Amino acid sequence: MRFVLLLLIFGYVANASAQNRYFTKSGKINFYSKTSLEDIEANHRSVSCVLDTKTGAVQFAVLMKGFEFRKALMQEHFNENYVESDKFPNGAFKGEVINNSSINYQKDGTYPAQVKGKLTIHGETKDVSTTGKIEVQGGKIQLLSDFNISLSDYKISVPAVVKDKVSQTIQISVDCLLEPLK
Amino acid sequence: MNRRSIIVLAVLLILVIAAIVVYREYNRENADMINTDADAHVQASQLIAAFEKNDSVANLDYRNKILIVSGTVRSLDTSSDHHTIVLGDSSSMSSVRCLLDTKHIQTAEGLTIGTIVRIKGAITGFKKDELGIGSDVELNRCVVVRSLQN
Repeated sequence: MRFVLLLLIFGYVANASAQNRYFTKSGKINFYSKTSLEDIEANHRSVSCVLDTKTGAVQFAVLMKGFEFRKALMQEHFNENYVESDKFPNGAFKGEVINNSSINYQKDGTYPAQVKGKLTIHGETKDVSTTGKIEVQGGKIQLLSDFNISLSDYKISVPAVVKDKVSQTIQISVDCLLEPLK
Repeated sequence: MNRRSIIVLAVLLILVIAAIVVYREYNRENADMINTDADAHVQASQLIAAFEKNDSVANLDYRNKILIVSGTVRSLDTSSDHHTIVLGDSSSMSSVRCLLDTKHIQTAEGLTIGTIVRIKGAITGFKKDELGIGSDVELNRCVVVRSLQN
């Protein structure tokens, strides 16, 4: 009887914990490099993201080869020379929503969010802090954020012959629509 | 036409051809899967199992390959800018995720959950389950080759 009671309590706690988690496997991340000579844009349509609304813990994961460029040569250079995606196939962010307690995930609305964590690209991990928006609508949660990164922070080197065509500061835009993880 | 003129014309012709080649290569788009031969045919379940068993070995085996993957449609995401077909077994969170080439979305017309389908695409890799949401093998630039109603 005691064993059954323990099992019931465990099941309730586990279930309650799972309902705090929201996820997507088709989030979007775009990055943008702007110079006087050329603008380069890449889109990712299969970003994985998990948010724990109770703790504010948030994680993102991408396959670097999933970034799509309009021009094949740019995509090949990106994978082979810049991010070396065969050696470093994954990009990831692991962090938290610092002001999580001020966000009411049970009430539809748009909430400003402050996020900090560790971003890993090209095998290099750096601390990142940024702001964004959390939009709660109809049981779903949308995470939106724009921030910049420096290529040098992630030891991404641009060949001298194209250095005027690739910005050292890359603009990143995140847009992930999360659903409850059941 | 004297010899010097012929040489000048030949050099100019070579320069023009070189410029055209460079221009075309610079503006080349990714190969269209409709016209590209696949490197291998594989069942979705086998592909998932290969990566879950040993992703290092599977990454080497399938790196940069064009695959035709056969499997059952587990879910469809046809929002305006997504168009993802997920193949796999509903009893597992792991799957093969096939992102459609936006130029060939029409190849997925009529697909429903439970349809048995063959999809051709370029493998982008394996996302191991580190977030508690299942592992996925991902393919890009996909086109539906053939579908069979279940």
